[in-house]
Amino acid sequence: MFKLWKLATRNLRRNKRRSGLTLIAVMVGLALVIVIHDLEMGAIQGSIDNNIRLQTGHIQVRDASYEKDKLPLKWDDLIENPQEIVARAQGFSQVQAAAPVLWASGILAAGEESVSVQVSGITPQSGLSDPYREGLVAGEFLTPDDRTGLLIGKRLADSLDISVGDDVSLLVNTAEGQPDEAIFTIRGLYHTGFPAFDEGTVFLPLAKAQAFTRVGDRASAVVALLHDKEATGTVATALQAPELEVLTWRDLNQLMLQGTEAAMGILYLVYLVVLAIVAVVVANTLLMSVFERTREMGILAAMGMKGRQIMAMFLIESAALGAIGIVMGLLLGSAGVYYLATEGFYLGDVSGMVSSELAYGERMYAAFQWADTAVLCLVCWAIILLASLYPAWFATRKEPIEALRAQ
Amino acid sequence: MEVVKLEEAVRIYQVGEVETPALRGLNLTITEGEFTAMVGPSGSGKTTALQLMGCLDRPTSGKVYFEGRDVTELNANARADLRKGTISFIFQFFALIPGLSAYENIELPLVLTGEKKSARKERVNELLEAVGLTDRAEHRPDQLSGGEQQRVAIARALSVRPVLVLGDEPTANLDTDTGHQVMAIMERLNEETGTTFVFATHDPRVIPFARRVIRLRDGRAVDGENGREEESE
Repeated sequence: MFKLWKLATRNLRRNKRRSGLTLIAVMVGLALVIVIHDLEMGAIQGSIDNNIRLQTGHIQVRDASYEKDKLPLKWDDLIENPQEIVARAQGFSQVQAAAPVLWASGILAAGEESVSVQVSGITPQSGLSDPYREGLVAGEFLTPDDRTGLLIGKRLADSLDISVGDDVSLLVNTAEGQPDEAIFTIRGLYHTGFPAFDEGTVFLPLAKAQAFTRVGDRASAVVALLHDKEATGTVATALQAPELEVLTWRDLNQLMLQGTEAAMGILYLVYLVVLAIVAVVVANTLLMSVFERTREMGILAAMGMKGRQIMAMFLIESAALGAIGIVMGLLLGSAGVYYLATEGFYLGDVSGMVSSELAYGERMYAAFQWADTAVLCLVCWAIILLASLYPAWFATRKEPIEALRAQ
Repeated sequence: MEVVKLEEAVRIYQVGEVETPALRGLNLTITEGEFTAMVGPSGSGKTTALQLMGCLDRPTSGKVYFEGRDVTELNANARADLRKGTISFIFQFFALIPGLSAYENIELPLVLTGEKKSARKERVNELLEAVGLTDRAEHRPDQLSGGEQQRVAIARALSVRPVLVLGDEPTANLDTDTGHQVMAIMERLNEETGTTFVFATHDPRVIPFARRVIRLRDGRAVDGENGREEESE
């Protein structure tokens, strides 16, 4: 075996240019697959994490009849005693922050222009509001007892040509089904890096939002953020109560998770195509090598080397070529992933066009997926070996006397 | 003792629709320790006869016996097993493995027969010395002259202490002096080790080295049934 290995690796060195080009094909192919995979996975994970941070939280407790798509404000659809649920949630050590939220649909008008927005009544002092507070780019953040102020996204303000201190008109539907309108002053502008969110969400203090929509002390949901996503199941089960619905981040991001699965299916197909091209290059290299060394195989056969040993020699050759190419591809791919994990891939305004539902940022960041990368490397190696079977078998097909006659 | 015997050996090559007979009923017996030349013009069947004797090929009809055993019907793997460590070849085109050094080329058949490293080292060094190439041990084939390469090929052929060494035009690609040197080495090793040598040649200059000459023409031994008719010297 040792000598077969030695023979095989020396053969690789014999035609350095051809081996080099093949290695480059393996390296680039694998690196490409690793970068695409880690970027996509990073984007998905980042997107889910951001959605949790900005919109859904890890757990939401709602009234069983509440339908989020409709943003209902009828008393029956709202939670009657949100503070009790908050108190219960905060009793769990896994809960980082919990607060009631009131959502309503509204129309924001400034001058001649008006846009449809989602009004979010938030608890400014809660940890749940940290992402918006941290994203403040102008003015000041809301206070719980502010009765006339609101917070809007910088992008929305820019599109309406308004800024801090300007007055805007906000129209909402109330619990009674009647519209109501009030003038608010822009207290601050925020920027989360998620265009779709920034352009479509305005914040009011919860108390003002409740009063404005006439829902009393009720809330659309109690949203909880956990220290660790893994604890979701435990806390969610503990918060179960009659007539309430407890939803986890998985339920709340179902659309995204399903979309992700479909996207990954297509991506796996892309990986296979890329790796198949790599395999064809390796098989071609090996086949050329077989043609060139026909007489050599005749000599080895004359010495008593059996067909399966000759086949093994070629398989070792491709295994070695594949292994070196994979290591190089892993290094190149990891360097690419490192760059995209730190610098990100700039999407800009395109991110807003991708989906208004999903929290895509202006930049996509890759995330190392070591387990997946290991699997990709092994699959790449296996595909290369499979592709080498034909040339290796071809090498054993010739009778020794025919092989010895070859030029 | 009989080493190899061809009995009414016929070998017909089929190329497309055309049948080309290379041997037409060759009978010959090679005994232990012989240093025999098979001579004849191109197409006389020398190489085919060597291939049958070396179990590289099977006859279309007739029998091949190796050390008294009928090996005519052995399959490819069984013939490979038989060749390994028993039959060696020296080819006209030197036939060294390009990626390996002279030392490693000589060592290769020993690796295939499963010799231990220490035994291999001893044997290879002994043979390098025997063919006068100790100082070229680490050179690769492309760093050796034609004569040196053929000496490595001889050393490699003898490395496993084979029963039979078959040479197909071993001096054809060498100049006269180098050809003589190579033949002299083969002759000396035959005398020293008792290994049986059979070589095909059409080079009249090397025939005098042979102690027995078998003349082939049109796939048959010219001078009789067992090809023993002419003794040189």
